[in-house]
Amino acid sequence: MASARSDIASSASTASPSAASPSFIAHKILIAGGFGSGKTTLVGAISEVRPLRTEETLTTASIGLDDLTGIDGKTTTTVALDFGRITLGTQIVLYLFGMPGQERFSFMWDELSYGALGAVILADVRRLDDCFPSVNYFETLRLPFVVAVNCFDDSPLYEPEEVRMALDLDADTPLVLCDARDVGSVKQVLITLVETIAGRRSAAASQARLAASAGRS
Amino acid sequence: MSPDDKWRHREAGPVVRPYAVTGGRTAPDGGDVLDLLAVIVATGQPASAEDAARLTPEHRKLLSLCRRQITLADLAADIALPLGVVRVLLADLTQLGAVTVVRQRPPDQRTGTDVLQEILNGLRAL
Repeated sequence: MASARSDIASSASTASPSAASPSFIAHKILIAGGFGSGKTTLVGAISEVRPLRTEETLTTASIGLDDLTGIDGKTTTTVALDFGRITLGTQIVLYLFGMPGQERFSFMWDELSYGALGAVILADVRRLDDCFPSVNYFETLRLPFVVAVNCFDDSPLYEPEEVRMALDLDADTPLVLCDARDVGSVKQVLITLVETIAGRRSAAASQARLAASAGRS
Repeated sequence: MSPDDKWRHREAGPVVRPYAVTGGRTAPDGGDVLDLLAVIVATGQPASAEDAARLTPEHRKLLSLCRRQITLADLAADIALPLGVVRVLLADLTQLGAVTVVRQRPPDQRTGTDVLQEILNGLRAL
């Protein structure tokens, strides 16, 4: 913590006054899910969605998926990401980034998740296996996440417990039902996520305190 | 180029290849790769006449967008250019001293319990 503060202090002396301190603090939450799971709808329900284009190097993973016939020289492909921003109070801006959950986009997951607070995985019960790559990724990364089952009108009804078992979720990973079109529902999903993150933090902090006091005695 | 290439579909995207605006450069000159949420701001230092003459319209547009602090993601969306292209152009502007990256705490030190509580309060009040 102390080193971060000194970073800010030292930059103040070298940069112009406007660059001395950030006028807002940006935080990132990922909205992951398979194709058509409702990522853009969810981001759009609570913020203005904007497309972000990236030019990505084509990997062998996309061979057979992207039609390269006649364009053998093409080495990059355009991936469009959606993101939205929510201004909270005077200083905090929450950014929601849609994260394409298909395995073939995994090359960009690390960049997207860098510095993220946590993630929402949108699940479509008709295609639950689309969630597996994201669940595995966030579990490995130890990034807090919630699974939000997007209730499409024609979705078959499953008990949350059934979905939880099918995804083999850890006991402390929340699973909620949501309607990605509804701002109140989306709000509740985000609140659940931030509460989960806060819970993890305080659990980790009290564990650290226990370890420290055990070390002293 | 085959004759068919002349008839591009409207949805095929820009006719100019993305990295044409960077003079073919795909990696920023010097410096680190900027994070999506890196905050950039114009320094307000006037460029020399020689430097100003080298700026492309895209450079100028970026520079004007940076009059207020703005994230890389917002910049790329505002100017409608791919992220990689914007990174290259920003590196040019940084080297000229026209823009600078606002120092922030690393993301893992940005959110204490108090910040999380503030986010929660903000979300509940939406």
